[in-house]
Amino acid sequence: MTTVSEILGINYIVIAPTLALLLTVIVLLFCTITISTPMYVKKYVSFVGILVTLFTIFLKFGLFLTDGVSSYFTEKILLDEFALVGNVLVGMVLLFTFNSFWKTSELIEDKTTEALILILMSASGFLLMIDAENFIMLFIGLEIGSISLYALAGLNRGDQLSNEAALKYFLLGSLASCIFVYGIALIYVSLSIIGVYETSIAISFIGPDNVPLTTFVGLILIIVGLLFKVAAAPFQAWAPDVYQGSPTGYVGYMATVAKVSSFIVLARLVAVSLTFIIDQFDLFFGAVVILSVLAGALFAANQSDLKRLIAYSGVIQSGFILSGISSGVYGISASTFYLITYIIQLIGIFTVFSIISGQLSSDFQISNISGLFKENKFITITFSIFMLGLAGLPLTSGFVSKFILITNLWSYERYILVTVLMLTTVAGFYFYLRPIWVAAVEKTENVVEKIQVKNSDKLLLGVLAALTIYFGLLPDTLVNITRWMVEGYL
Amino acid sequence: MITIMYSLLLVPLFSAILIFLIPNSRKETFRPIGIAFSLITLTQCVYLLFGEYAKTEFTILSTFKWIQSYGINLHFGLSGMSTLLLLLSSLLVFVSLLSIGNDHSESKGFVGSLLMLHFAINGVFISGDLISLFIFFEALLIPMYFLMGIWGGENRRYATIKFILYTVFGSVFIFIGTVYTAVLSFGVNGRLAVDFDTLSSLSLLESQSKTLFLLFTFGFLIKVPIFPLHTWLPDAHVEAPTAGSIMLAGVLLKVGAYGILRVSIPFFTEGFLAYKNLIAILSVIGIIYGAIVAIAQIDIKKLIAYSSVSHMGFVMLGISAGGFLSIEGAIIQMINHGITAGALFMLVGFIYERRHTRKISDFGGVKITMPRYAAIFLFTSFASIGLPGLNGFVGEFMILMGSFNSYKILTSFAAFGVVLAAIYMLWAYQRMFTGPIKYEENENLSDLNSRETASIAPLVLLMLFIGIYPNYIESFVIQEASFLSDTIALFKDLK
Repeated sequence: MTTVSEILGINYIVIAPTLALLLTVIVLLFCTITISTPMYVKKYVSFVGILVTLFTIFLKFGLFLTDGVSSYFTEKILLDEFALVGNVLVGMVLLFTFNSFWKTSELIEDKTTEALILILMSASGFLLMIDAENFIMLFIGLEIGSISLYALAGLNRGDQLSNEAALKYFLLGSLASCIFVYGIALIYVSLSIIGVYETSIAISFIGPDNVPLTTFVGLILIIVGLLFKVAAAPFQAWAPDVYQGSPTGYVGYMATVAKVSSFIVLARLVAVSLTFIIDQFDLFFGAVVILSVLAGALFAANQSDLKRLIAYSGVIQSGFILSGISSGVYGISASTFYLITYIIQLIGIFTVFSIISGQLSSDFQISNISGLFKENKFITITFSIFMLGLAGLPLTSGFVSKFILITNLWSYERYILVTVLMLTTVAGFYFYLRPIWVAAVEKTENVVEKIQVKNSDKLLLGVLAALTIYFGLLPDTLVNITRWMVEGYL
Repeated sequence: MITIMYSLLLVPLFSAILIFLIPNSRKETFRPIGIAFSLITLTQCVYLLFGEYAKTEFTILSTFKWIQSYGINLHFGLSGMSTLLLLLSSLLVFVSLLSIGNDHSESKGFVGSLLMLHFAINGVFISGDLISLFIFFEALLIPMYFLMGIWGGENRRYATIKFILYTVFGSVFIFIGTVYTAVLSFGVNGRLAVDFDTLSSLSLLESQSKTLFLLFTFGFLIKVPIFPLHTWLPDAHVEAPTAGSIMLAGVLLKVGAYGILRVSIPFFTEGFLAYKNLIAILSVIGIIYGAIVAIAQIDIKKLIAYSSVSHMGFVMLGISAGGFLSIEGAIIQMINHGITAGALFMLVGFIYERRHTRKISDFGGVKITMPRYAAIFLFTSFASIGLPGLNGFVGEFMILMGSFNSYKILTSFAAFGVVLAAIYMLWAYQRMFTGPIKYEENENLSDLNSRETASIAPLVLLMLFIGIYPNYIESFVIQEASFLSDTIALFKDLK
């Protein structure tokens, strides 16, 4: 006998990570409003919340083993390989950035709970977005996630740059959301569907050559909305200002969580919805990739603010990841590998920045790290490893990810893309080595004084740097995981 | 043999990490520890000389599974040429650790970077596939970046960035070539196999072979460096610290020529036949141009740097002529130039530590105060010029003789390089060492102490040994040179 809940596909395990985060938020609210609790309790509550979230993600693996790829809640929530990998990545981002965003929140005394709630809410939103099968759910998740991030950017009210960042992020972000919604509307108008799988079925039904123009425009608008979130050119303009203005302790989280979830959604969109018409998007993706790497490299070469430099480097890396997503199923797996290694380096770099300049500071000039090596060897060495990883030097994970990606592109005969990407890599050595030069090589009088690094920070940096090297030497496990993710979509 | 091969990688790496872990308060121990570990590597290399792979072509001995889902494995192996170059690099690391002054030897970064450089160089010479070759080829840059950037001269920032960008630009082409080869190999073998065994069985179209040859060779030629791409070298040499210059001239330049002999020629022979004339012309221009520019130099280090351009031109001429004798000569010249140029840079380093100038005109009559130094300098200059009986003569003579059949006019021009070498080396010697003492700063120079003499002695002895008994070093490369020249001859006949 089938119950109503089975017909509706109600299964709370699928949305358990989201629910766990929301529950944590409610407990935190309770702690603040009803009874006044000391700081360490809030820390404890939010950390346990994150651990529970991670645990529930593993429950989802169990569900996946029995059910396989399936959808729940009347085809609104999807459980597939992309969702699982995306969930794990968001969980990992929360875990790795917890240290810095907790310390930042602690510093903003009257808004500690507010900040924690914003972060956990945004994570729950992005989890929902990753899980969404329905475009409307996708949009809701994206908005929950993004709006929290806008607020997070401007949380340090006394700082002018922070206010500027929040306003810019909000205005441009809402514009992107408008575009996204308009795209959904166009698809609905032309095909009367709003699902990720439904789109591909409809397209295969009417034939790839007969797809109406409105559907195309709709799909491109949806993709543009997502590209905005990952800061691919020409939609990158917000990134440097937001990175520069936001409190440093939050940027690591803000940058990675939006990138991870948007790229996973984009990958699923390409692998599932666009699978029959992906050839017709080649030019669009190719143009975005080339624009991204060129714009990123041109602007990054001249930055004196390190957070802006990393923002522009993010534009380049988005171009690299996108180039893989748009070239076949194995390209998607290569891109996912790239994405994972990239966020590890990114979190590491922002952890270093927040240790050096303090959690709340906004701009971070390159002179802030001059002569860093003299007194702070550990920080400099880990920072250098992350930067070399971004540059793609062999023996770090950056090289492996570039190698897999480029090999795949070459086998798809995208020679122009390969050439442009590789030339960008050369330029990359110029601006990725410059901070290392300033920190470790250049002789200077005013060196950064010895910074007391907490053991938790040391552990975090050590783990991230070790992962960067580990995936450079023995990438096999991670490659297999990313291959498993796409195997069903061959 | 496999254990020794891997320990050539692991011992330098381990010793570098060890040096980084020792606290700075025990800085007097850095040099002894570095020397001890480089002696271990040196002994292992000497042992390799008597091993079974010392006189063979490249043999893959060990495979390391890397990314299995793509079928990419890393391979390591040995050959005669590799063994000689490993020995050379270990010897040069050993002597440069011995020769550096206290301000360098008491810095853990310097000793550690040198050992990391040793690790990467050894990796290049035992690599048995394109990917591991590329990995170590790029990994060379980072220790070199620190050596030049931190302990370099006045204008080090410019020189370091130029060096890095030139090399990375070249290695991008090697990278694309590797990817191209891997994808071609995927079409045949069903996996991305780029080890040297698979590559030699890969049959390529002529156009593919040409493209791949150009991609790989361009990257390697920047490292050699060949004439129009050489401009990074003088800057890098002038700004690098002594040990950095020794390693740069002694081994890093050989990595380029090694890559061409190991990868470009045997696997993309058709491409080689198509472009060898171009390379030969460029190398002869390099020989003459390098020598003439060397004559005009006022900085002794820059003079030796340009002489390296000239000498490496001989190597490239020998390679592009493609006969047995000329290729054998090229390999021997690689070793010889490593020894001689390393010794010359070391000697310049000694006098720079005393006088803090490298301008030739600041010296004069140094022979009176430093007789032992002057004698060794003259001896090394003779070796560099190619005086019969010393090592420089062997390689250059074989190259000129071997190339004459293929390139009569070019080789005749190249022979003038030897004469020009005599001009710039002897003239520099005359201005620096002979005559009366012009400046009073030179009156109280102390002669080489025992540590410095000990560090130059192995190189001087080798110059003499190879010069008198070249058969010994030749016996290691016969097999490999004949394999290469046979491959070339085979493809020539097919045409």
